Formats: sequence, structure tokens, C-alpha cells
Amino acid sequence: MTASTEATQSAQPERPGLTDGVASEFLVIAKIKPGHTDALRKVIEAAQAKMDRSGQIEIGTLHTARALIFDNDTRFLFASVFDGSWDTYIDDFAVTVAGENFEKTFTHTEGFPGMKDPKVKEWFVANQVPAGLFTTSYPDLTVKQIWKDQRVNEAFQEVLDTPEFRELLDNPAAAALRATPAFQRLLDEAAG
Amino acid sequence: MNAVASGAPSVPLEMDDIQSGALHHRPVPYEGWFVFLRVDDRHDGRALLRRLLPAVQGGLPSADPNRGAWAAVALTYQGLRALGVPQESLDSFPLEFRQGMAARADVLGDVGESDPANWEPPFGTGDVHIVLSGLAPDAARLEKALERARAAYQETPGVEVIYQQEVHQLPTGRTSFGFRDGISYPGIEGTGIPGSNPQEAPLKAGEFILGYPDETGNLPPMPQPEILGRNGTYLAVRKLHTKVAAWRRYLRANTASEAEEALLGAKMIGRWPSGAPLALAPDKDDPELGADPSRNNDFLYREDDDRGFKCPATAHVRRVNPRDATIIGAIRLHRIIRRGTSYGPPLPEGVLEDDGADRGLVGVFIGAHLDRQFEFIKSEWVNDGNFIGYSGEKDPVAGHHDGTGSITIPQKPVRRRLQNLPTFVVTRGGEYCFLPGLRALRWLTELED
Repeated sequence: MTASTEATQSAQPERPGLTDGVASEFLVIAKIKPGHTDALRKVIEAAQAKMDRSGQIEIGTLHTARALIFDNDTRFLFASVFDGSWDTYIDDFAVTVAGENFEKTFTHTEGFPGMKDPKVKEWFVANQVPAGLFTTSYPDLTVKQIWKDQRVNEAFQEVLDTPEFRELLDNPAAAALRATPAFQRLLDEAAG
Repeated sequence: MNAVASGAPSVPLEMDDIQSGALHHRPVPYEGWFVFLRVDDRHDGRALLRRLLPAVQGGLPSADPNRGAWAAVALTYQGLRALGVPQESLDSFPLEFRQGMAARADVLGDVGESDPANWEPPFGTGDVHIVLSGLAPDAARLEKALERARAAYQETPGVEVIYQQEVHQLPTGRTSFGFRDGISYPGIEGTGIPGSNPQEAPLKAGEFILGYPDETGNLPPMPQPEILGRNGTYLAVRKLHTKVAAWRRYLRANTASEAEEALLGAKMIGRWPSGAPLALAPDKDDPELGADPSRNNDFLYREDDDRGFKCPATAHVRRVNPRDATIIGAIRLHRIIRRGTSYGPPLPEGVLEDDGADRGLVGVFIGAHLDRQFEFIKSEWVNDGNFIGYSGEKDPVAGHHDGTGSITIPQKPVRRRLQNLPTFVVTRGGEYCFLPGLRALRWLTELED
């Protein structure tokens, strides 16, 4: 047989949701399928219980995520903040472990076509509730940059605790370096 | 992350219905011609396609990938409209194709000098309806491939040639920047054409041809009716001007010796002028390696060079094909066929001042998904660097820099950071095209009313 007749055309929807700097917000509310609330709750609880952040590391763009059941156990809410626009990586997301978890979760909500269905973008857009206000305290920093900044600061603090570094600072040979504006900024951060 | 297609049936490719211009490699050397036409009357447009049919081949024009010659016929969205394709069918094409390349300037980073407002007419005006192209190993075979096509449009009133562009391999066998190109191309399941990297598994046919499962396991969204969409694909055709003198001056100004200059150029491109990849030849050019097609693309990054001390993660060839390197996203969902062809005279060796000549390349980027292939590569991999951990940094050579760009080159003990990069490549124009299968072309000639 030829696998062609069921090829579907994505509607290429507009992308709702607010952005602030590099970050975007994405909030979806979906009706839970009748009788599926307990199963969905178990999926959410299990994900929270075994949270090891491996999913976030694999994705590399997710700042925060939350999931909850509300409205008298009839509706499900998922809210996240991430770098870029959500649909850019939606196809990639479908082949990650985090995408599998999405599949396990949203499969309990009405009308969800499945992560690998080309219509999944449309479904998310149809169920997205755009924010009226969205702001972040670090609009210039992506998750990748924050991780790098954290590694750099940890290493910097360790250097400050190293006696050899203190000795080097006092060495007259370091005077020229110490006098540069860039190093002065670093020392200013080192002071406390 | 590797995408694994599952569940979808494996369907043999109808190679004979797929235009040769879709999957075949660029010959080496090559001569080519692009003709852009406007259709003023739909009946004449259909008549032209009818006359072009015998000039367009399906399947593989030659068993030797370097020796094939072909003519290909592609249509823009405005072209399909001008031919009188029913609205329902027009609406079934993806949004980015319907909008056209000029309208996607923000996504593609075509801003500043590359802004569609500065494009050469007729690009971006809506007047380009049919893009006819020919590519061959030499002028004689090009002429043979194109003569029937030329006769077809010359004897058809109501269709107008509005732009032409000749392309040919420079005497150096390299791009205007001085680097061997055309080295890397993906393998595609069912075509019998092996990819140039033996370490990359062939991609699902649906990444490149409509009507077959792709790497997600789905069928690519396909325009309707099926006879129109099946065995077709999309081309992003771009005329790109290269600022060769500016490139040379930048290298000269940021290095202290000829050897340093060569290394810096290689670090920005990811290959040496001979084509030898930095991943395999990190310190100096290796012309033998560069010229050896069995070795010059046989490498990965992760095991040996994930942090990019040999080939920077920021280098052009590594950005646009990260292979197995650690990045955000699934690499196999963003592969593409690239066919770059040079136009204009080379800037003589050693010249650092711009001579005012127009030179560069016509790039044809081929895939079944304009949005997650060509557009994704432009927006995420060429015009940003977050996917490799260098947020905001652009492709050193292909990115739009406007004099403020910076590039990190990993090295020990301290990375090198290039600053104040000017733009080296300017978009002169371009169009999104649909390259139909042969049955689809015939269907277009048989449209009624």
C-alpha cells in the first residue's frame, strides 16, 4: 500500500503567548478525559517524585515548568517558561524523553492527537491560554547561559579560596593586570 | 538525540517520477543556468509546461554522481496561482511557501543590506513564477540539457523571461572565498545514492520527498490533490553576494602571519581551502585528505572534539551540519541538501580591495519541510548560537553581522573571541519554489478553464 492519503496539512497557526527578552511563556489548559483524572494525577506525581532534571538537560531551553489538576478535578494546566519560541523545537521535542513524558500526560486530555502527530502544534495552540502579563528578571539569559554562568562562578569562588591566588594578587608582577578595568570589575565581584 | 521513525511502512521511492534536480549531486566541475519566468496568461503558462515536459528528466541522470546533467522546473506560490491552480489546492501548501521567501525575512535574518527592500528585482516582487534551471559537467552538456527548454519558452507568448543567472565552477575549483565546497551531502533511503559521510545513517526519504515517511515517522504535510504533491519537494533558491575583499581584510587584520591567517579562516569555515576538515586536520591543511572523497567527510565530533578545540562548534560547516555534536535539538530533523554554485569572476589571489564586481553563489537548499529544515537552520543554527551554548553568536561567514558580531573560538588556555565582524554574505534575492514530480507537472498542464 502507499502511505500517502492520510497526509495532513498543518494549519500553520499564529503563535500566541508573550515573550520577554529571550524567554517565552507557554500555558496550556485542557479538559481531562472522563475517568482519567486519577491516572493523570499518578503520572504527575510520579514525574515529581523522580525529578532528576535529566529531561531539562536534554532539552536545554526550559526555565521552569509546572503541571496541575484543577476545576474540581476536570481540567489540567501546564505552564512553562523557555528560550525561544515553543514551536521551533516542537518536532525535536517529540523525540526526547521529555516528549515521552508529555505524551504520557496529555494522553489523558481530550482531543490530544499525540506528540508525533503533525497536528499536535495546532492542538497546543487551540488549547493555549496566552498570558496578559509575563516578565522575567533575566531577559538576556538563556538556560544554556545560566548554566555556563553558574559553572564560571563556582570555579571563580574556588579560585578565590585558593591561597596561591591571593599570593599572586599581591605579587608586583600582577600589578599591571590588577590595574586594568576588566580585572577591577572582577575584583569588585571578588570583594563580596 | 536521534529521531527514530517507527510504525510507518517503508515505501519504495518512485525515482522515475522525481525530477533529477531534486536529489542529484552537483557535478564537479559544473556549468549551470537559472532562468526566472513570469506567466502573464495561465493558458500560455500551461502550454509552456507542456513544452517543457520532454526537457525534464526523472530519476538519476547518471550513475556517476559527478557527471549528471539535467534541467529542472520549479514553481513559486505566485506561479501556481498564475497557472490557475484551484484555491483549495493553493491553500493546502504550507504557510511559509505561500508567503514566499521575502515575507520570511525576519525568520531568515534577511535584514539590513540583505533586506528584501534591497533585493535585485524581480526577486521578492511576486513576479517570479517559474524557475527553470540546468546543471551539467560542461557547457556542451548544459546546452544539450537546456536547448529544448529554451526553445519551449522562446516559442511561448504570454510567458516572459525576467531574469537569468549563469553559474559555473571557478578555475580554482573553490568558492569565491577560496574553499572547496560541495563535499557534504546526506544519504537518503531508497535512492541508491550513498551519503558522503559513511558514519551517518541514510535519512528517511520523507525528509526530502513528499509522499514518504520522514524521520518523525509521519508523512510530510503534502499539498493536495495527491497527484500534485506526491514526489515533489521544496527548494529555497538564493542569490548570495560574497564580500571576498572584506573577508580577506578581516583575516589579515586579525592575524600576524600567513599561517595564522590560514588557520583563522579555517576555524571560521571548519575546513581548510583544500576541503580537509579541521576535525581530521586540526593544525594545517592536508590537500590529499581534502581531495579524497572517501575520507574528507568521514568524521563525527562528539567523541573526539565535542568542545570544538579542533573544529569550533561555531564554525560554518559544523553549525549547518553538527553531525553527532552536543546541541539543543534533534540533528536528523534538520538535514538538508545544499547545492551551491558560483557566479561572477573570482577576486584575484592576494587582492584586498573590493573591485566592485558582483560575485557569489546561487544556493539551492532542498527539503520536504521548509520550516523545520531551511528556515530552522537559518534562524537557529546560522543566525543564533544558543543551540551550541553561544547565545546570540552567528555563523562567522554566513551570518548577518552588521559590524557588531562576535565569535568564540575555543582554545586553551583561553578561548579566542573575534569581535566587530562585518557581514561577508549579502542576500541579493531568493524565492521559495515547489519542485513537482513529473506526473504533477503533467497535471498542471491539464488544468482546465
